[in-house]
Amino acid sequence: MILVDSIQLIIPQIIKQAIDTLSLTSFDKRTLFFHCGIILFAGLFMAVLRYGWRNLLMGSARDVEKGIRNDLFRHILNLDMAYFDKVKTGDIMAHATSDINHIRMAFGFGLIVLVDTLLLGGATLTIMFWTHPKLTAIAMIPMPFLIIVTRVLGKKMHTFHRTAQESFSQLTELVRESFFGIRIIKVFNFEDSTGKRVETASKDYFKKNLKRAVVTALLRPLLGLFFNISTLVIIFYGGFLVMQKVLTPGELVAFIQYLSILAWPVIAIGWMTNLFQRGMASLKRINTLLDSLPQVCQPDNPKTPGFINPGIRFENVDFSYAKKTKTLSGINLTVGPGNKIGIIGPPGSGKTSLIQLIPRLYNTTCGNIFIDGFNVDDIDLELLRKTIALMPQESFLFSGTIRENIIMDQNIPRNEMDTILYTCALKETIDNMPDGLDTIVGERGITLSGGQKQRIALARTLIRKKPIIILDDPISQIDTHTAATIISRLNRLNLTSTIIIISHRISALASCDRIYILKNGKLEHFGTHEELIDSDRFYRESFSVQQFEEEDAG
Amino acid sequence: MPAEFTAQKKKVKLADFQLAKELWPYIKPYLWMLIVSTALVFLITFFELLMPIFTQKAFDGFIIPIGPDQGIEMFGFAIADFKSLCILFGIFIVISFVIDFMQTLFMEYTGQKIILGLRCALFSHMTHLPVSYFDKNTSGRLVSRVAGDIENMNEMFTSILIFIFKDLLMMAGIFVILFTINPQLTFYLSILIPVIMISILFFSNILRDAFRTIRQKIAEINHSFSEAITGIKIIQTTSGKNSFMKRFQTLNFDHYTATLFQIRIFSIFMPFIGFLGVLSIAVIIWQGSFHVLDKSLTLGELVVFLTYMKLFFRPLRELAEKFNLLQSALASAERIVSILNTDKAKQRTSSSHNQIDSITRVEFDKINFSYEKENQVLKNISFSLEQGRSIGIVGQTGSGKSSIINLITGFYTQDNGNIMINNLNHNSIDIKDIRDKTALVMQDSLLFSGSIKENIRPSNGPTNEPATRSGHPSDEKRLKKALMDANCDFLFHKFDGLETMIKEGGRPLSSGEKQLVCIARAFAFNPDLIVFDEATSYMDSQSEQKVHDAMKKLMNGRLSIIIAHRLSTVRECDSIILLKKGAIREQGSHNELVALKGQYYHLLKKEKI
Repeated sequence: MILVDSIQLIIPQIIKQAIDTLSLTSFDKRTLFFHCGIILFAGLFMAVLRYGWRNLLMGSARDVEKGIRNDLFRHILNLDMAYFDKVKTGDIMAHATSDINHIRMAFGFGLIVLVDTLLLGGATLTIMFWTHPKLTAIAMIPMPFLIIVTRVLGKKMHTFHRTAQESFSQLTELVRESFFGIRIIKVFNFEDSTGKRVETASKDYFKKNLKRAVVTALLRPLLGLFFNISTLVIIFYGGFLVMQKVLTPGELVAFIQYLSILAWPVIAIGWMTNLFQRGMASLKRINTLLDSLPQVCQPDNPKTPGFINPGIRFENVDFSYAKKTKTLSGINLTVGPGNKIGIIGPPGSGKTSLIQLIPRLYNTTCGNIFIDGFNVDDIDLELLRKTIALMPQESFLFSGTIRENIIMDQNIPRNEMDTILYTCALKETIDNMPDGLDTIVGERGITLSGGQKQRIALARTLIRKKPIIILDDPISQIDTHTAATIISRLNRLNLTSTIIIISHRISALASCDRIYILKNGKLEHFGTHEELIDSDRFYRESFSVQQFEEEDAG
Repeated sequence: MPAEFTAQKKKVKLADFQLAKELWPYIKPYLWMLIVSTALVFLITFFELLMPIFTQKAFDGFIIPIGPDQGIEMFGFAIADFKSLCILFGIFIVISFVIDFMQTLFMEYTGQKIILGLRCALFSHMTHLPVSYFDKNTSGRLVSRVAGDIENMNEMFTSILIFIFKDLLMMAGIFVILFTINPQLTFYLSILIPVIMISILFFSNILRDAFRTIRQKIAEINHSFSEAITGIKIIQTTSGKNSFMKRFQTLNFDHYTATLFQIRIFSIFMPFIGFLGVLSIAVIIWQGSFHVLDKSLTLGELVVFLTYMKLFFRPLRELAEKFNLLQSALASAERIVSILNTDKAKQRTSSSHNQIDSITRVEFDKINFSYEKENQVLKNISFSLEQGRSIGIVGQTGSGKSSIINLITGFYTQDNGNIMINNLNHNSIDIKDIRDKTALVMQDSLLFSGSIKENIRPSNGPTNEPATRSGHPSDEKRLKKALMDANCDFLFHKFDGLETMIKEGGRPLSSGEKQLVCIARAFAFNPDLIVFDEATSYMDSQSEQKVHDAMKKLMNGRLSIIIAHRLSTVRECDSIILLKKGAIREQGSHNELVALKGQYYHLLKKEKI
């Protein structure tokens, strides 16, 4: 690149010589031929070199892009739930595309332009200074103004870029959410009101973008103005010098030629300022995201005990999502090794929050949780998660085949797979699908019914054979008949794991060693099925409602 | 984990001409702005072209001839001395700055306006697409179109289009000037033009294709992010993290490779144009020298010729650079137009259709339905439902219960058979009218981010009331009542009532609470037909009881369809349909079915455990 720029500088020299030769009217065809030949050769050489550095620089910019994007993705996979409660999906998506794109532009084009400007501009200036210091100095009069203006505008650009990007993030999230909930939008005829919301967000983005545009629009013509003033000064002053025979006309022509080379760097400064400011604003946003440390993180001295069938103990555990309201308070709970316990309670009582604390999807607000006597905060995070198989309440399927969704990345022997499919009453369902286990399910597995999704999610949890299994409302969407089948098969599976089940259906909990009743974030009662029917009103009522329904039916 | 993607298999490909035609309606309203902008561009170009003439006059008039007092003529004005020439030049510079600034600003404004219109149009078009479209295309990919692709086009309108025009204009102008200075030299230059044209065409084809791949990969990347975030709990707890990372890296690498290819192509293109520039300078100097020698050309003229040639190649260089962006923007435009061209199929509009004021009767007549050809989901389904009656549909998971809803709400269309509403064919009624009178409570409780108020009653709901003004007493009362009906009283003592802010994914409500709010939303719409699709599955028995009370209140005098997997949920329906593998197995009231001692009775026994 340096070579290219220096060659670019030689060409006017040759032109100068050629013109000086001509103005002397002593004409030498061979010299002329020689000059033209050099110009041609230089041009060819330049082309080859340009190809090289373009490839190199732009390529490395893409390299940077790739790297940042990978980092971002990895970082996101490691962040904890509490973070996602605060930050929106669309926002992160905007980071991953739009912002990274801006950074790449700054790195690629920006770097090219920067080097080009510095080298070409610098070298041109040197040569100009060499040929005629005074003329150059005069031509440079507008320079300080130029620098000041660029800096002031650059700062403004930075701010405006940031606000524009933030607005863009909001827009992305709004669009994403709307597409995700398209069915509700349609059936309630929300199309127009959603359209309005997007329009408002777009308009906001439009306004912020326009603000940025005003500044950007000012910069380029302004730089052009400064450049033209320089040209004017040179012609004016240089003209006098020629008239006074201090300067040859050829020299002045060359000087103006050099100045015209400067035109590109000067315009480039404007462009570059814009690109850099945009890139920097985006880089800041990405860095904020990358710097956000998960609250749930690897302990300093991770312990790696081998869990076979561990017990779990909650000790005075409090938990809250926001400072204001406590979701869980004073939870004390013990699960013996290999035991199976159930949790029941009205909606919003904190059941899901409780079990999410065990694999440290969230950290407790205060109090401790122990697995086999080890505080979960001290256990190697990877190991902790490997010990626990959690089935979240809302069944989520990734786009891919059913098989991939169940095994994720493990190698599962065929017969084990068959057992689990049988347990989850999936065998027949899957056999009826066009491609069996290799049927592709879309985003959120939308072509499957709720119960089918739930059974696949259950299979995914069970197949892992983890020492601790946590099932969050595993049969809520499955019909009673199938659910009963699954539960009896599950009991017959003779799992040695420690199991925690949340359910509203007493039939799912009846076989548990102990059942806890959770109300308003507090454990009210616990006991076996029989004990609770005697002692707890909520349990008794729930049971009798379910019992009544069934008796009435019979 | 999953090694393969349900990828967008075909790349979109459209002719430029067609693209222009499709986008025209969005550009048209701003045509006058574009014209003004273009006029300004003409002015700027004119000014820019005049600059070197000043230089030439300065040389020929003052600098080369000895003695500054000769004076020259320019645009009919006699310019007495060198100083006034320079002053004139200075004035020129300032004027051109002002025009340049105005033009840039104006253009930016116009471009952003067009984009704004296009984005809103695209989004509104997409919300009107049939649900099957969203089932096939993941939301992550679709988002990248409304956000990313439109953004990419933004550049086309704001910086590329006009500048290409300007650059072309400038080149044409320069060409004319060159011709007036010396036709013969210009002739040599003109040989280059076909070469440039051909190379542009050649490169544009390759580049566009490269950009198509790039945009497609970006959509995939977007999708990956969206999926990873939604499924983060599962990824973190199933140790699928590494394989997810690997999968993403592969995808990201594909994108990288595609971009590298584009860079390589482009880095051949640019230096090639640059070389043509140098080549022509060499030729002109060579030829020009002869002209200077035989006095058919002054030295000043040769200098000017060279200066203009520089000017000729500068826009060419910029043109080439912008050309890259243009190809990228056009690839995005193709993707957008392809969506705009997707039929709003089955999205029937009223005009010639039957109007209905209310739904009083729903009838299914021998309905067959399948999502994909080979897999029939519903077989020969017939039933009818009168005002004030309710129908319960039970069956195992996957027996086709939810598909019946997909048909009533017009998300999908049946393969054959008729759906009659008030004895009118479903197809002949504006689907909006039907949905206006229908409320749906689904098994996945979906709430949008915003306040509870916005969720159950967006600012311009389906009825033609004026938009809700915040704090409007009667409206607020009505919403409160809807919430109370749905047993959402917890919102008032646990949260901030109507103003409770819901975040993405329905936080901070628990799943059960979310479902209650969804039911409240159905209440607020006061529908004729209510569909409960497994609405109570997330609830404990006591809440379920409360909801059932509320449901009964709401069902009174209306048509209702209750879909459930638990027999207890539908026990009180006037009629119950037992679905098995997409066909009706048994149909009748609870008592009838019990008396039948068939499958229903059998299941009932089992449910007791």
